[in-house]
Amino acid sequence: MNVTSVGEADQSVAAKRELSPAFGDDSARLSDAVREAVSAGTPLAVTGAGTRACLGHEVAGRPLSTLAHTGVITHEPTELVVTVRAGTPVSSLVETLAAERQMMPFEPPDGGGTLGGVMACGLSGPRRPYVGAARDFVLGTRIINGQGQVLGFGGEVMKNVAGYDVSRLQIGAFGTLGLLLDISMKVLPMPEVELTLHHELDSPDTADTLVAMARQPIPLSGSMVQERDRFIRLSGSAVAVEKTASSLGGSRVAESDAPWQDLRERRLPFFDDPRPLWRLAVPDHAPPLTIEGGWLLDWGGAQRWLKTDAAAAVVFAAAKAVGGHATRYRSRVPATSGESDGVLETRHGTPLFQPLEGPMLHLQSRLRDSFDPHRIFNRGRFHPELDNAKDA
Amino acid sequence: MVAAQKLTSDTDGSESAAEPGAGTAAEALARAAVTDERLRRRAAHARSLAAFLPADCILSSPEALRPYESDGLTAFKATPLLVVLPEDTGQVQAVMRWARDASVPVVARGAGTGLSGGALPHEEGILLGLARFNRILELDADKGIARLQPGVRNLAISEAARPHGLYYAPDPSSQIACTIGGNVAENAGGVHCLKYGLTVHNVIALKVVTIDGDLIEIGGQGPDAAGYDLLALLVGSEGMLAITVEVTVKLLPEPPVARLVMAAFANVDDAGNAVGDVIAQGIVPAGLELMDRPALQAAEAFAQCGYPLDAAAVLLCELDGIPEEVDAEIERVSEVFSERQATRLHIATTEAERLLLWKGRKSAFPAVGRLAPDYYCIDGTIPRRQLSHVLQRMEQLSAEYELPIANVFHAGDGNLHPLIMFDSNIPGELHRTEELGSRILQLCVEVGGTVTGEHGVGVEKINEMCVQFDRDTLLQFHAVKAAFDPDGHLNPGKAVPTLQRCAEFGAMHVHAGKLPFPELERF
Repeated sequence: MNVTSVGEADQSVAAKRELSPAFGDDSARLSDAVREAVSAGTPLAVTGAGTRACLGHEVAGRPLSTLAHTGVITHEPTELVVTVRAGTPVSSLVETLAAERQMMPFEPPDGGGTLGGVMACGLSGPRRPYVGAARDFVLGTRIINGQGQVLGFGGEVMKNVAGYDVSRLQIGAFGTLGLLLDISMKVLPMPEVELTLHHELDSPDTADTLVAMARQPIPLSGSMVQERDRFIRLSGSAVAVEKTASSLGGSRVAESDAPWQDLRERRLPFFDDPRPLWRLAVPDHAPPLTIEGGWLLDWGGAQRWLKTDAAAAVVFAAAKAVGGHATRYRSRVPATSGESDGVLETRHGTPLFQPLEGPMLHLQSRLRDSFDPHRIFNRGRFHPELDNAKDA
Repeated sequence: MVAAQKLTSDTDGSESAAEPGAGTAAEALARAAVTDERLRRRAAHARSLAAFLPADCILSSPEALRPYESDGLTAFKATPLLVVLPEDTGQVQAVMRWARDASVPVVARGAGTGLSGGALPHEEGILLGLARFNRILELDADKGIARLQPGVRNLAISEAARPHGLYYAPDPSSQIACTIGGNVAENAGGVHCLKYGLTVHNVIALKVVTIDGDLIEIGGQGPDAAGYDLLALLVGSEGMLAITVEVTVKLLPEPPVARLVMAAFANVDDAGNAVGDVIAQGIVPAGLELMDRPALQAAEAFAQCGYPLDAAAVLLCELDGIPEEVDAEIERVSEVFSERQATRLHIATTEAERLLLWKGRKSAFPAVGRLAPDYYCIDGTIPRRQLSHVLQRMEQLSAEYELPIANVFHAGDGNLHPLIMFDSNIPGELHRTEELGSRILQLCVEVGGTVTGEHGVGVEKINEMCVQFDRDTLLQFHAVKAAFDPDGHLNPGKAVPTLQRCAEFGAMHVHAGKLPFPELERF
């Protein structure tokens, strides 16, 4: 049984849809497994579909899969809220929502992954600068902490300031502050129309035009520049999109979603470059960075993809100099046994994340302790210095 | 909520001495000894702070302390040992190190407009007032950001941004007075957060001082930062984790037009259902507010804005964007309201009329204040589909407690603000009001909501936290607090109840036939 089939069978009942509580609930087994790991002192490597392994360091630990913890728990179309188990495939959730003409506004990459993986890695797609990131849409979570306790934070309502916002804190923590069980999210109606414009530029563009555009009240929902190609996506009511499109000019892309899907899934030819891939998150108005390599500007200039052989220290320093940070993706290298897919390079001892320092490092390390005092979860995957800097 | 009197105490020297003493001479002597001891501590702390702070940054006389004894929740009062008003970040860092070393509680305060007692002073602590941090450090229209000291007023941000065609979206009712630092502490919302988000969605960076006196930069002008999302954690943390000394917010382009529809309904149910219908249509209004009859009548008497007084409820629905889009949405919203039997539909024809209709809504709280000697504002959030049910139950509770309730709230996101009208001069009425408020909050939790949507827990809703969260979750909150503030110097006793407190509360309020924390001893 999968989520999609339930969605299809029950499409007409838009008012309220509660699936059986027993459907794909694996939380009891998962919390037992965590408690056992704690008492045995065995670190765990929490995995979903395993599609985000290129993000973060390799983890030495017993694998614990969330794949059996799956399904949409509640979807209230009129409330614009959905509560989903972490093992739910992104693609099936997208379909369930689409049946009601709704969407996850932050447009997460799919790549065969789970919603838990998207949230743990804090992944958002091209729409992010205009509507918000994954964390902005999270309303509540249920997690297992490092003591095997099942805890609930936030809820299914739009405004909730009871207790610390632990739910948003979990997003992008790579499972090192707890195992994500369920996530409640705000969803939004799909826009009435979407349209993509392509501009061929006379000279390689900087982010300046994109930044100026973002300060205007126009229905932007995507913007990227690579070399002389600039793509702009508009979303909203037909009248608003049409009006803006005529003023911006350029040619209209026939399959308007295609460039954004390819960008989100990192399928554009740009990503085939064999050099290592970096993601730089910087102010959109930051000047062009002078690192030698291939650049692709996304998020109106705030997310810059870089293919380079430059040393990690150079990239980190450049990102920091403009008030941002950089993350290196692990590359696939040909496996010795000759599999075509290759294996992920190991990066022992070389940082993939912008190193944390000083009081910030100690604070974040203590925060990790507060959720996972025995460092059971994903030891070393995210900012390994957090696990090395354990306070005395 | 416990009876306010229980937490209201004033052992300040001069005032206690002035009160007619009850009890025996021995008791009076004991009280005087406590008072002397407290005055001695006050003087000693003032001396040691004066070693590194200018004299006018330290307030210690009873008259100077009195304005700080409560925030917007005036039922709770306490006099701090001292009020400290630092003028720069270095002073805040020094004060924090001093407080840690001297083991003195620190309570931060902005404009003191909070409604949950989050800035209620600690009797043995200092109140750290950030009013002098009132400068806009940078406003860059090209970058679309404003960098602010925490004492800058919420409305002042939009006023400064307006010449550039920009504004700051979150607009709590108190925006004329409340500060951005307080907004960060409470994750403040407002009328426009339905479409534009809460403080957490609009703040991009903070500079905070930890209890160790470290200055830490959190977030940044990029889309995210390295490490954990501390920005999300600190927004709404009620002064429990660190002291905010700088806030960077994003500014949004002002929408070209905003138009307002007012719809009147013959019963509150229809109005409540119409709210859900609008959202279900895929329309996200800039604001969607509901007022029931008592609120309407009060607001109309106060602001003369032309509300229909014969209606049981009125919805104010604002749509903004480009003109063509707004026109189309106005049409669709009007259809939805008509289908829900709206008795009257009116679209504001001029900007002046639009602002007048909002003025009534925005002055509804003080307007209700004229109907009764006192009112108590509740702040729960519920799933929108439960609106009718919860409004009906509140009507029953209102009758049961014989206390009138006016409802004026952010219907679009299910954030209720029932105003209970009462007279604190009638013995027992405040207590009954608090009990009614507590029942309403528990009702919110029962239907899947929360005990606070935007006002915060503070001291006010600390007991109701025990209803919403179980033991392990509360312990996790305490562990998070300890990661920042291991010895509990920052705003002690607020926001997250101790298990002991929950046990005491549980003994009074049996929820669903089950005692919370059955494993704990009863007191």
